[in-house]
Amino acid sequence: MAATCQCEANRQLYVPKLAVLEHITPQTPLETLLQFRFEDGQPLGHRAGQFVEVSLPGIGEAPISIASAPCEDPIFELCVRRVGNVTTALHNLQEGALVGIRGPYGNGFPDEALHGQDVLIVAGGIGLIPVRPLIHHIMCNRFDYGTFTLLYGMKRPEEMLFRDEVEQWQASDAVDLHLTIDRPHPDWSGHVGVITTLFPDLDPDPARTRAVVVGPPIMYRFVILECQNKALADENIILSLERNMKCGVGKCGHCQINNKYVCLDGPVFTYSELKHMWEAI
Amino acid sequence: MPLQVIGCEVVPQLLARLMAEARVVAPHRRTGADQWAYAEVRDPCEVELEYISTVLPAKKYAFPPVEQLVRYELAERPLMEAVVESEPLVIFGAHPCDIHGLWALDQAFCDVNVDPNYTAHRSGMRIVGVDCVPDEHCFCGSMGTATPAEGFDLFLTVVEGGYLVEIGTEAGAAMLDGLPTQEASAAALAQAKERLARRIQQTTRVSAECHSLPLLLSGLADSEQWGEHATKCYSCGTCNLVCPTCFCFNVIDRMALTLDRGTKEREWDGCMLEEFSKVATGENFREEREDRLRHRFYRKYSYLFTKYGRPYCCGCGRCVRQCLVHIDPVEVLNDLIAEAEGRRS
Repeated sequence: MAATCQCEANRQLYVPKLAVLEHITPQTPLETLLQFRFEDGQPLGHRAGQFVEVSLPGIGEAPISIASAPCEDPIFELCVRRVGNVTTALHNLQEGALVGIRGPYGNGFPDEALHGQDVLIVAGGIGLIPVRPLIHHIMCNRFDYGTFTLLYGMKRPEEMLFRDEVEQWQASDAVDLHLTIDRPHPDWSGHVGVITTLFPDLDPDPARTRAVVVGPPIMYRFVILECQNKALADENIILSLERNMKCGVGKCGHCQINNKYVCLDGPVFTYSELKHMWEAI
Repeated sequence: MPLQVIGCEVVPQLLARLMAEARVVAPHRRTGADQWAYAEVRDPCEVELEYISTVLPAKKYAFPPVEQLVRYELAERPLMEAVVESEPLVIFGAHPCDIHGLWALDQAFCDVNVDPNYTAHRSGMRIVGVDCVPDEHCFCGSMGTATPAEGFDLFLTVVEGGYLVEIGTEAGAAMLDGLPTQEASAAALAQAKERLARRIQQTTRVSAECHSLPLLLSGLADSEQWGEHATKCYSCGTCNLVCPTCFCFNVIDRMALTLDRGTKEREWDGCMLEEFSKVATGENFREEREDRLRHRFYRKYSYLFTKYGRPYCCGCGRCVRQCLVHIDPVEVLNDLIAEAEGRRS
């Protein structure tokens, strides 16, 4: 080859591995929780905050956040909103179906940065899905962390995900849970207002607190401001970004934000990494 | 081996020898148009080596416009297997810009997560380069790509009565075995040197040194010029397709009519297209044309440049030759350079 490139290629780079859909748990009218296990019994081997490319032959591939904690391997869960071709087809699958999985991809949440610290998780809407593995991990290793606060906001009560777990968290002393919905609703007696209206009740120790923020794009700039108002340093505000990730392996270019590939360098970034990137937030 | 000279009449002999071993592609003039395209050589005597850069670059052989990645059969248990194909191929007559373009793709496809399909195509590929006669759109002199330092088996430069031949690899040396060659004379070397100097002079059109571009651009993200140049842009993505260093792709599934088997394929995609950064929920992270134009320029002259050490632009001018509204990277860069200098003073 007349090139400088003589490195070992991974022949299987784009080939999905088959996983069995073992269990389906409907969540909301739009989201459903799918539980998988690789056909060959191998673990997925992921970290909290990573994603996979889910492949349905003949339909396509889509990047989906992993919803289960690493300790549950070899079972892993994906919570899927029905929004496009692949996700609609995923919703139509029956238990026992086989799907293709590539991954896990991305960096995941920085456990070393959270270990021993106070953790504040801010989840908006389906932003709860990628942070669920982190929540499970913290709850299972509760003594490794300081205070643990979880803010979870949604537009309407019927959009609540993982309702049973949310009730358990509500009853537990291990996490200080604050729920809110955007507008008043007859079925809701809790806090009403966008997620930033929960911040006045918080009194985080800025030296010890690490905020983990995941939600719709519009939420970030307002939540970042609230975190800064609580004197959190930019490097302690941790965000997971959504982008169009086609290949998952840093080639196809779709997920690029300035000089970063979200699929390789992210999806988790600190605000100090992102604040000078005009395309990020 | 010292530099050699071959007569013009040796070129068909060289081609015939290569054609006996591999598929050979070379630039062909498209009938009825003053445009050139790489196509398979049928007759060694038909190859012309003085041409304006082809519409599509040589990247189409290393990274085809559409390519199968995975083949599957639908059954109770779907069968999925990688499709990685390679064939011996000689690209004959690649310009220095094309050779630089392949260097750029090599870096991108072979860093982390080495791409199996790209490397398969590249491993079967040999390159005989040739120097060119630039037109008014070329700016390889500004990009440092007027001459290839590496990435070729043989490189030919026009001299009186034939070509000066630079040998880049052992495979290149073997191509010449038994053909009539002679050691290059001082006169031939001087001719080649002068020809290169003239070409560099003619194609040095960007008003700043290329390695200053990443730093220079770092302060210009908010420039109004992105918007001004982008108002002309149709977002058609042609500049992406014809660019030797553009490598973005989409991944799609294609079912056979029988619905029992299909393929996962990749096809060229482009960051200038509106849908490129859109996610399933409808959010588009580079919705405006100026955002996409700026992204393209930063990718070429800053992001990938900084990452891999050379510009991700080979100055070939293909993008402006094919642009329907004549968005010229030289003009855009020079406007930005003037603005940066204005801000400094």
